[in-house]
Order: sequence, then C-alpha cells, then structure tokens
Amino acid sequence: MNNVLTVARKEWIDGFRDRRALYTLLIGSLFGPLMIGFMFSQIASQRKGAQEIKIPVVGREYAPILVNWLTQQSGVEIEAGPADPEAAVRDRKVDLVLVIEKDFAEKFRDSRPAPVQVVSDATSNSTRAKVSRLNSLLNGFSSETGSLRLMARGVSPIVASALKIEQIEVATSQQRAAMIFNFIPMFLILALFTAGMPIASDSTAGERERGSLEPLLIIPIPRWQLVAGKWLAATGAALTGMLLTLMVTLVVLSRLALEELGIRNHVGTAQILLILAAVIPMVLVSPALQMFVSCFAKSFKEAQSYLGLLVLLPTLPSILTIFYPLTNRPWMHPIPILGQYAMVTEILGGKVPPTLSLIAAPVVAILITAALLVMATKLFSSEKIIFGR
Amino acid sequence: MIHAYNLRKQFGNVVAVDDVSFSAPDGAVTGLLGPNGAGKTTSLRMVYGLLKPASGKVEIDGIDVAARTLEAQARIGVLPDISGLYQRLTAREHIRYYGNLQGIKGPELESRINKWVEVLGLEDVIERRVAGFSHGERTKVALARALVHNPQNILLDEPTNGLDVMSTRAVRELIRQLRSQGRCVVFSSHVMQEVSALCDRIVVIAHGRVVAEGTAEELLAQTGMTSLEDAFVQLAGPHGETA
Repeated sequence: MNNVLTVARKEWIDGFRDRRALYTLLIGSLFGPLMIGFMFSQIASQRKGAQEIKIPVVGREYAPILVNWLTQQSGVEIEAGPADPEAAVRDRKVDLVLVIEKDFAEKFRDSRPAPVQVVSDATSNSTRAKVSRLNSLLNGFSSETGSLRLMARGVSPIVASALKIEQIEVATSQQRAAMIFNFIPMFLILALFTAGMPIASDSTAGERERGSLEPLLIIPIPRWQLVAGKWLAATGAALTGMLLTLMVTLVVLSRLALEELGIRNHVGTAQILLILAAVIPMVLVSPALQMFVSCFAKSFKEAQSYLGLLVLLPTLPSILTIFYPLTNRPWMHPIPILGQYAMVTEILGGKVPPTLSLIAAPVVAILITAALLVMATKLFSSEKIIFGR
Repeated sequence: MIHAYNLRKQFGNVVAVDDVSFSAPDGAVTGLLGPNGAGKTTSLRMVYGLLKPASGKVEIDGIDVAARTLEAQARIGVLPDISGLYQRLTAREHIRYYGNLQGIKGPELESRINKWVEVLGLEDVIERRVAGFSHGERTKVALARALVHNPQNILLDEPTNGLDVMSTRAVRELIRQLRSQGRCVVFSSHVMQEVSALCDRIVVIAHGRVVAEGTAEELLAQTGMTSLEDAFVQLAGPHGETA
C-alpha cells in the first residue's frame, strides 16, 4: 500500500507541475459550466426580448386606431418601418415588420376584414418568440374589435365564439431550458475525462517514451502496485476536474434566475450527494480505461490521439438522444456513461434513482476498473510493451 | 555475485543472444565488451529480470532470477541502457522516489541522498528540476537513484557513453570505490580503453556468444596479439565466431 501511495504521489506532483496538463484541466472543467450559463442567459434574453417588443410599422398613418391600441399594450414600442420590409427582414436588419395596407381605414370603417401583413423569417430562431407575440397582439385586437361590433349590433359576442379554446402552452423557452440540464452530465463526464487524461497517458506511454519505465520496473515491487499507484493519481486528477465542474455549475445555476424561465431548481445538498454518487463510478472507470489504451501507444502524443477519440464516447448519449429520445430506464444506470446520463438527469429533475441503481453502478464500475487494471498490469509485464518491439 | 548460464534469447527469427555464460565475483569489476548489437544489453536485461531467457538461467547471490525475480532484484542496482528522468522532478525527488520504493524512508533516506550528492558532486543541482541538466548530470542522477539502496550487485549498461572527460572520471572513480567496498560490479561497453582501464575481468561478446573471457593479459595470450585492441578485433570480428 505504501508503494501505491508513493507512486501516486510522484505522478500527482509530476502531473500538476505540467502547465499544459493544468490548463487542460482548468479549461476542461470550466468550459461546460460557462457554456450552460451562456445558453441559459441566451434563452432568458430571448424571452425578455419577446415581452418587450419593438414593432417596426409601415403605413401607420392608415390605421391610427390599431397603432394606438398596440402602443397601449405593455412592453410594446412602435417605430417607423423600413422602406422595403421584406428585404430588411431577409437581411436580418429587423426581426419583423408590421405592414398596414392603404385600404385598411376604408375596410375597417365598413367592418370588413382590414388587411395587415406580418413580415418575418421563420428560419431565424431568435425572432420566433417576437413573431408569436405580435400575432397574439393582433388576434387580441381583432377579437376585441369584433366583440365591440357585435355588441353595437345588439348581438352578444359569445355567439361568435363557436369554440372555447383554452391554450395550454408548453412554453418553448422552458423546454429548451430544461434540455440544457441534460448537458450537465455530459460536461461532468467530459471534465473527468480530460482531467484524468494527462496523468493516465504520461505515466504509461510517456514513461515508456522517455525511457524511465525500464529502471522503474527493476525496482523489486509487484507490478500491480505501480499500476495501482498511477491509476490512483489519474483518478485523483479526474475527481478534481469533476468536482471543479460540479462546483462551478452549481454556482452558475444559483446565479441564474431559473424560476423566471419556469424551471424549478431542485439542487440542494441531497442532490449534490446523489450526483456525486452517480458520477463517481465513472471517475474510477475512465482513468483505468485511459491507462489501458495508453499502454498500447509508443509515445505520449500517440496516446493523446487515441484518448482524443475516446473523448467522443461521453458525447455519444447526447447525440443518440437526437435520434432516439432516451427514456430513463433503470437498466441503464449501471452502464458507464449511459448510467451517469440517466441518473444525473433524473436527479436534476427532482427524482431519486432507485437504491439498487446507486449500489449496482459503483459495483459494476469497480469490477470494470479492476479488470482494466489487471489487463494493464499484464501489459506492463509484457516484454513487447516494455521495450516497444 | 552473479552467474549467468547459457543464456539464449530470440525476438521473432532474430537470435539476439545465442549462448552467453559468465561469472562476476564480488569485489571485482567485470566488463562485458562487445561491438554494438553483440547482445550485451539483451544479456543484461535477462540478468536483471526484465527479459525472460528462452533457455539458460541467471543466479544473483545464488538466487534464481526467473523463479524469485523480486528477491533477486532486491540485491541489484541497475543503470539501464536508457535511463530516462522525469523532466519536472528535482534531482533529489528522483533519488527519494526510488529510495521510497526500495523501502527506505525519512532521515535515513535523506542522509543517504546527501552521501550520494557528495560522492557524485551533485551539490549545485540537487534541488533543481532535471529539465535543463547536462548529459553528465543526468547520468549522475540516474546512478544515484539506481544505487540509493546500497545494492551488493551493480549492473551498468554503457555508463560512460557520451559523457565528457570530467563525468567519465567521476563514474570511473565511483566504480573503483564500489569495487573496494567488496561489491560485484558488471559493466558493459563497446569502448576498449574503458574496459581495459577499469575491469579485472573481461567477457568479450560477439554475435550473441561469449568469444573470450579472462584478464587483459589472458586475452592477449589467447589471441597472440600485443595490443588489446588488436585482440578485440581478432575476437569480435567475423573470424571470432570460431574462437
């Protein structure tokens, strides 16, 4: 055990004196949380943008009554529209334009449908909220005026409503905000992957490349102790990266006004502990896998490029969800990476994964880790690997 | 004391070591002399237990290396052919790391490190990271780290290769000291002068075989040459195979 700790301490010191590795760890850990903060604030500002809407109007002189009505609505500002509305929208100079046609006044006076046009670009995500707000404003004006006309003719406006439509709106901004939560497990796994990588590859492929493996292997200690020590150091780094990401993510979440986006922030101490319980199995597996793979590489650089491919693994579940919406099933929980996704999403959604999952996940992880370390030890004893033939 | 019996090793179809036997007694310096690619390094790797011989065996102080590898390795200190250092660790941390793994700790370890600093003249660089070290300084650090546990048997694979005069002298001086302490020193080289200057016994290896063994005088007598270099050429050359 002493030897394991000696090796771990040496690799840890060596690893943390490596500036490049340190930057990798910091950038890898901060990227995710900052990304999440950015995405949330984007959604929040879009929502805000929709509530406070500036409407460029062309031909306002034809419909003072509509323009006045719009001005009286909260958060609406009317401004002069561009000369060529369609070109202006196409070029993204303005998000939308309300065009009032010449015969508006005449038709309105005769109680015929008065023509207005809403010019917008459906391919632009950022304007969608504004367009739907303008449409609902116009519908409001239309039905309000319609009711007044019916009442003037002695008819109850109720007869004009054949249906009573109740809008149950699942706000898109809320949905999108909830989807961002699904990124959190991916960023946690990415962080532990990138943080453990430098030590995992430097202490195996790097050790071999610089010729320090041979003298090390002559020291009369069992090979598994060397492997275990190196794994412990890499795992420590992976854990550090993961905790850093988790902490920054929690700070970012607490700073965001999630309630304004219609999301309940469920994360308290219990959830943090649950998240740790869900993610730590991966902290054990990932450095072992990285070490095992690095053993096959002849140089640190070669190892890094193999591990670069390995980093794609944690992003797989989130890519797959685009094609197959993954519904959380308990059988997913013990499977590395997939399990972390399933469990962390569940925890962030305010649920608690089944106790069986919380036990099965680490047990499976420990078995996989042990198997990988045994195989790595075998490689460390192989003449081909030691001398790189 | 090291005994190697009929070592043989092949990689694929290439026979690297065909038949190598030698003995290295305590209190003497045994030189493995041979041209590049003769099988010196491969032989040494079998002695210190990182390569398994295809046939033959090695005993260190009577311990069979293949059967009791760790026990045998505990009795040796090795400076391998390539002895890489960790760029970001200081010289002291290198020696301490190996000392710890050899089971030496605390003040005992520090006093041993200080002793090696003195013997090898590492005072100026001991607390510095090795990234900017000269080749000589690196070799000294590698030597100190290999010998921190005071092993009885010492194997040095081309220790003076590429060293400047001052460093070479320091290494030679160290080898003589180790001999006078009664240790068994085995050291390989392809440089004639190196071996003749230091070694009590010379084992000439060529084409994976021991072609001659004995003192410098015995080798001269055996070949009928007047200079050791001629003797070496005679022994190691293509005709030497039949010797």
